[in-house]
Amino acid sequence: MSLNRIERAQSLRIRSQQDLAAGLFIIALGALAIFLSWDLPMGSLRQIGAGMLPKAIATICIGLGALLALSALRYNGEKLSGWSWRGVIFVLGGAVLFGLTIRGFDFGPIKVPQLGLIVSGPLVVLVSGLAAEDKKWKELIIFAIVMTLFCALLFKYALSLPIPLAPWLLGI
Amino acid sequence: MSEMISHLTLGFGVALTLQNLALAFVGCLVGTLIGVLPGVGPIATIAMLLPITFGLDPVGALIMLAGIYYGAQYGGSTTAILVNIPGEATSVVTTLDGHQMAKQGRAGVALGTAALGSFFAGCVATVVIAALGAPLTRLALLFGPAEYFSLMVMGLCFAVVLARGSILKAFCMIMLGLLLSTVGTDLETGQERMTFGFPPLSDGIDFAVLAMGVFGFAEVLRNLENPETRDVVKAKIGRLLPDWNDIKQSINPVLRGTGIGAILGILPGNGAVLGPFASYTIEKKIAKDPSRFGRGAIEGVAGPESANNAGAQTAFIPLLTLGIPPNAVMALMVGAMTIHGIIPGPQVMTKNPELFWGMIASMWIGNLMLLVINLPLVGLWVKLLQVPYRLMFPAILIFCCIGIYSVNNQPVDVAFTALFGLFGYILIKLGFEPAPMLLGFVLGKLMEEKLRQALIISRGSFMTFVERPISAGLLVVSVIVLTIALMPAMSKKRDEVFTE
Repeated sequence: MSLNRIERAQSLRIRSQQDLAAGLFIIALGALAIFLSWDLPMGSLRQIGAGMLPKAIATICIGLGALLALSALRYNGEKLSGWSWRGVIFVLGGAVLFGLTIRGFDFGPIKVPQLGLIVSGPLVVLVSGLAAEDKKWKELIIFAIVMTLFCALLFKYALSLPIPLAPWLLGI
Repeated sequence: MSEMISHLTLGFGVALTLQNLALAFVGCLVGTLIGVLPGVGPIATIAMLLPITFGLDPVGALIMLAGIYYGAQYGGSTTAILVNIPGEATSVVTTLDGHQMAKQGRAGVALGTAALGSFFAGCVATVVIAALGAPLTRLALLFGPAEYFSLMVMGLCFAVVLARGSILKAFCMIMLGLLLSTVGTDLETGQERMTFGFPPLSDGIDFAVLAMGVFGFAEVLRNLENPETRDVVKAKIGRLLPDWNDIKQSINPVLRGTGIGAILGILPGNGAVLGPFASYTIEKKIAKDPSRFGRGAIEGVAGPESANNAGAQTAFIPLLTLGIPPNAVMALMVGAMTIHGIIPGPQVMTKNPELFWGMIASMWIGNLMLLVINLPLVGLWVKLLQVPYRLMFPAILIFCCIGIYSVNNQPVDVAFTALFGLFGYILIKLGFEPAPMLLGFVLGKLMEEKLRQALIISRGSFMTFVERPISAGLLVVSVIVLTIALMPAMSKKRDEVFTE
């Protein structure tokens, strides 16, 4: 604490990259919310309009974000650590691919046929599995097939949820 | 008293049907199965397993979910003892002495004591819920919109104070959760708010999408980044049942832990998280030889584990009687109930008595099941602990994807979840703890509704919140809690508690 005090007496500088970024992020989200709800009526206290709460909460967010960012200039804190793009791309990409293929997709020029769980299942396991640094191809492929079969049996048959399995091949 | 017995009889009549017993059993089993995996906490476990309850009737689904919840809690303790990785905040304390006991070859006794202590605490907590359920529900029916609003404000204040990490950041998370809850069509005026004109958003952000994105996907990203150090115990598990000496040592800590946990769990706001810490501190203070703690003292497992389970269960009280979830796990239960068409609150008990009492009776059955399932299956749990993460997370992903797709049969939901996964990952990177956001999100819609109603009744005067005595009292408590937490001396102590 005493060390902190001494440093505080010196000039203001960024002492916690993480807190500064966090504060700015919250401010940005608050500003976005205010921008998006700009046209919504505030109403009166007696009859609150659609825009009152979003704007009020967003204003509080901006205030808290500012406090957080300012505190980053006064108190020591953590640095921002590196981003693992590998995880973001493969894990989230795998999930998006699942969404695209499970029931087909038709958006402008991109057309994906309805492939069903038989394709989407192994796809999500294989693509997301690439995110692991210690991946083993053979193990991953076997695991993808086993997991897909297991999920098909569990969700489609044991729990009878309406998931397309392979409409193009099996008609279900 | 006779009222309570007749209620419990009704409940056991529902819970003891073959189908519901089987559901409680399966729930406990899969809850433990997933909860025992290192790096998968109760929130992620419940979010992942939500879809397997979709095909069931509401009573069965809730019984199964409650089973999953207990299983996940107990699974967390198992990981804490055997691998030294706490599944969530409440089992942090168990790692201190539990893992030491495991290293000394007494893992079996630690697990057995935890299970027996939890079972006892669960029995007591079930009775507490049954006893308090009816009177609290009657009290809740007296609450007007102003009281409800103030109660939720108090709950959120507690949640801010009891969250891990910086108070300011927890505050930001609650506000962000409230902000996210306003996205979608405004229920009163029918206007679209912050939807970017994008039709899937006009119903608002789906709860399951947010929960699985932030707690499923983002957690996977977090875990991938920190190469895990699993300190799986090499020593033998040893016998499971504590001997007479162990029992004598742990009986009083179990009693005290149960009491502390049950009381703290009832608090709106995440009181349950304090139980294990409080119990551990007390046991250490009154022990004849405090230096034994941290080196494998059985009291340090028995007390906190009982407090943990008692609190985990009495946390249902604010949810079932007032309809207000006290923490992120209970917020998930609200989401699950809403998916099954039940709006939690005082009306559940009067309109759906079988569901209400059936669920309470099944809590006791669930605790018994845990005892029966877990002790013989310890060997299996140990095997599960050795599953490498490189296979675990693709399995988590395929489960989450199928689950999200099944909520509304909407493929676009999966893409949304990925987006929220990224959002959650950014939050984690910026040092935020996302649990309070989920709570804010779930409470947001209800808070807005109650605020509007209260202001319509009071003709636009904010004074209504301080003029009505109950509401004023609740707000005073919130202010006191926040001021105490913000005082420098206390915030230092708070840091110590949460880092210990």
